[in-house]
Amino acid sequence: MRLLLVNQPLKIRETIGNTVKEEVRIKPKQQNKLLLFHKTILNLKSEEEEMKTKLFSIVGLLVVLAMIISACTPTQPATQAPATKAVEQQQPTQPPSQSEAQPSGKKLICVIVPPVENPFFGAMQEIAAKKAEELGYETLKLVHDDDANKQMQLIESCIAKKAAAIILDNAGADATVAAVQKAKDAGIPSFLVDREITKEGVAVAQIVSNNYQGATILAEYFVKLMGEEGNYVELTGRDTDTNAHIRSQGYHDVIDQYPKMKMVAQQTANWSQTEAYSVMETILQAHPDIKGVICGNDTMALGAQAALLAAGRKDVIVVGFDGSDDAIQSIMKGELKATSLQPVAEMATQAAIQADLYIRTGSTGKPEKQSIDMVLITPENACHYKQFAPTGETGPCPTPPSQ
Amino acid sequence: MTTVKASPVQKSHRISRTDLLQFLMYGRAFIALILVVLIFSILSPQFLSAQNMVIMSKHVAQNALLAIGMTFVILTGGIDLSVGSIVGLTAMIAGGLINEGIRLDFLGVIIYPHTWTIIIISLIAGTLMGAINGLVITRFRVAPFIATLGMLYVARGFAGLRNNGYTFANIVGRPEFGNTGFERLGAGSFLGISYSIWIMAVFALIAWFVTTRLPFGRHVYAIGGNERAAELSGVRVNPTKAIVYMISGFCSAMVGLIIASELVAAHPATGETYELNAIAAVVLGGTSLAGGRGGIGGTLIGAFVIGVLGDGLVMLGVSSFWQKVIKGAVIVLAVIIDQAQARMQERIALQQQQEIGASTSRQSTPED
Repeated sequence: MRLLLVNQPLKIRETIGNTVKEEVRIKPKQQNKLLLFHKTILNLKSEEEEMKTKLFSIVGLLVVLAMIISACTPTQPATQAPATKAVEQQQPTQPPSQSEAQPSGKKLICVIVPPVENPFFGAMQEIAAKKAEELGYETLKLVHDDDANKQMQLIESCIAKKAAAIILDNAGADATVAAVQKAKDAGIPSFLVDREITKEGVAVAQIVSNNYQGATILAEYFVKLMGEEGNYVELTGRDTDTNAHIRSQGYHDVIDQYPKMKMVAQQTANWSQTEAYSVMETILQAHPDIKGVICGNDTMALGAQAALLAAGRKDVIVVGFDGSDDAIQSIMKGELKATSLQPVAEMATQAAIQADLYIRTGSTGKPEKQSIDMVLITPENACHYKQFAPTGETGPCPTPPSQ
Repeated sequence: MTTVKASPVQKSHRISRTDLLQFLMYGRAFIALILVVLIFSILSPQFLSAQNMVIMSKHVAQNALLAIGMTFVILTGGIDLSVGSIVGLTAMIAGGLINEGIRLDFLGVIIYPHTWTIIIISLIAGTLMGAINGLVITRFRVAPFIATLGMLYVARGFAGLRNNGYTFANIVGRPEFGNTGFERLGAGSFLGISYSIWIMAVFALIAWFVTTRLPFGRHVYAIGGNERAAELSGVRVNPTKAIVYMISGFCSAMVGLIIASELVAAHPATGETYELNAIAAVVLGGTSLAGGRGGIGGTLIGAFVIGVLGDGLVMLGVSSFWQKVIKGAVIVLAVIIDQAQARMQERIALQQQQEIGASTSRQSTPED
C-alpha cells in the first residue's frame, strides 16, 4: 500500500511533466522498488528520442516536397498536350516517337475493372487485355474494388504513366464522370464497358449490354415457366448500382402485365451469394408458398438456389442474370432454369478494337453510346456458351436430369 | 527542460554497435520509405516524375489525414472504427447541401448555404459524430471498439438513407444560388500542389505541435500510458478522450469533403474500409495499439509507405491480389520490428539505469 502511494505520483509526474527523471536517478536506493515503473519511464525516453528522429524524417519529407515544388513547373500540362496529340495522329507503321514514354516502344492501355473475384469482371479484363495485346499494346490490368475514389487514383496513375487509352468498367455512374473527365483533360481517351456514366461527351465510347432488353426476355421466359400465375420473389442487386434498377424495371415491365403473378417479397442481396442464401432462407420462412424466384444476377440466383435446395424445395423456379459459367453449369444440371447472357466477350473485344482505332485514326467511327443485345440462356442452348461467349457448337444440348 | 539537457550527456556515453542498430530501428519507417521509392523508381521509369510524385502525395493525403486523427485516438489506447463511415456520411451531407439545400417546409423556403458554410457545416457534422463516439465511450463506459463499431454501421446507414442509396451527382452548385466552387477543394492547387496535400501538411504540423508541445498532448500520452494514474494526477480523462474522438471525426469529415470534391459526386459507399488503412498507417508508423507510445511523424511516414507501396505496385501492374498480400506482410513486419526495438530499448535503458546507479553509489559511498 505504501509502495503504491509513493510510486504512483512519481510515475505520473514522469508521464506528464517529463521532469522527474533527475529525481529518479538521484535516488538509487529506490531503484529496486521503482523497477516496475521503469517501463513507463523508458517508453517516455524512447518517445522523446523518437520525436527527434521523426523530426528529421519530417524535414526529409519536406525536402522531398520542396523538390516536387521546384520540379513542378506550370509548363507540365503544356508539354503533355502535344505529346498526346502526337499519339492520336500516329500511324501504326511509325511507332518510335512515343518511345520516351514507353521504353519498350509499345503504347500502354489501362484496363480497369471492378473486383475480379467476380468471374464476370475477371473474364472481361482478360479478354480486353488479350485483344489489346494482340493489337500490339502493352496492358496494365487494374482493379478498383467498386470504390470511386480508388478508381480516381488508378486513373491518375494511368495518366502519370502516360497511357494511350483507358478501358474502364466503372465504379458508379455519377461518381465516375470526374475521373473520366480528368483523363480526357490529360488527352487520354476512355472506353467504357458494361456500365454507363451519366454524362455524354466525356468518354469516347460507352459500350454496354442492353440490360433492359436482357431483363425483358428473361422475364418473359420466367412468366412462361411459371405458367403465368403464382407467387414469386425478387432478389435485387445493390441499391446504389444503376444496373440493379434497370434490371428490376425490365422484369416488372413484363411481369406486371400478368395479374395472376404476385410478388410476395422484394429484397436486396447486394449481388452477393451468401447474402442471397440467408435472405432466401428468411423469405422461405415467411412465404413457403412461393413458386419462383427472379434474381438481379447469377451469384444471387445461385445463393437462392442453394438455400432452396437445402430446404428441399426443388420445385421452385430460379432464374439469374449475367450468364456466368457457374450459372450455365447449374442450368445444365437442371437447377437454375434460365439466365440472360452478358455479351462480355463482345463488349471487351469491341473496346480494345475501338481504342486501337481511335489511337491510330482519332475516331472510332461509331456513336458514343453502343448497346449490345443480350442472349437468353435456357437448358436448350446452355451448352453452347462458355466464358460469356458462344463456343461455336450448335448441336442439341443434353436434357438436364428431371426433378 | 532538465531532460533536454540531460539527454546529450547520456548519448555521449554510449557510441557502439547497438547505437547504430538503434538508429536504424528508429528510422526504420523512413528507411523503408526510401527503399520503396528507390525500388519503384528503378522498376518503373515514370515513377519518379514530378507529376507522379504530386499524384501519389495526393493519394497519401486522404489516408494520412484519417491516420492523423486516428493517431490521437490510438495514443489514448482507444480505436476509431467509424472513420470510413464518417467520411461517407459527411460526403453525403455536403453533397446534399449543395444539390438540395436545407428544406424548411414550415417556412416554405429552401436555404442554399454558401460553399464555405457547407464545408463548415460538414466539418461540424463530422466532429459531432466523433463527439457522440466520445460520449458513448466516456459517459456510458462502452469499449471504444464497440462504440465506434456501432457508429460505423449507424453512419453508413444514414449515408445511404440521405439519398436513398443514390449518388448526389455533379455537386458543383449553381451560380444563381451562390454555392459554386466546391469542386475546387479537390481539383485546385497552390504552387502546383493540390490543396489536399497542403491540408495534410497543415493538419500534420498542428497535430505534431499539439502532441509534443501542448499539455493536451501530454495528457493524451498519459492516458494511453496509464489511464488510472493519469486520472489520479489530475488529468481530466473523460473530456480529453472525448476531444480525441472529435479530432478523429473532424479529420474524417475533411477527407469526406476532399473525396466528394475530387469526384464531384457524393456516393454513399465512399470510404468503406478506410478505417483499416488508417489504422495500418498508424501502426506502421510505430504507434502502439496499447496507447501511450508513438507520434504524428511516424504516422505520416506510415501513410506514405502504404500509399507509395500501393501506387508503385499499381504502376508496375502487379495483380491486385498480390498487392494485398504485400501490404499485409509489410504491416506485420513493421510491427515485428517495432516489438524488437521496444525490447532492445528496454534492455539498453535498464543497463543505463544500472550504470548510473552504480556510478552514483560509487560517488556516494565515500560520503557515507
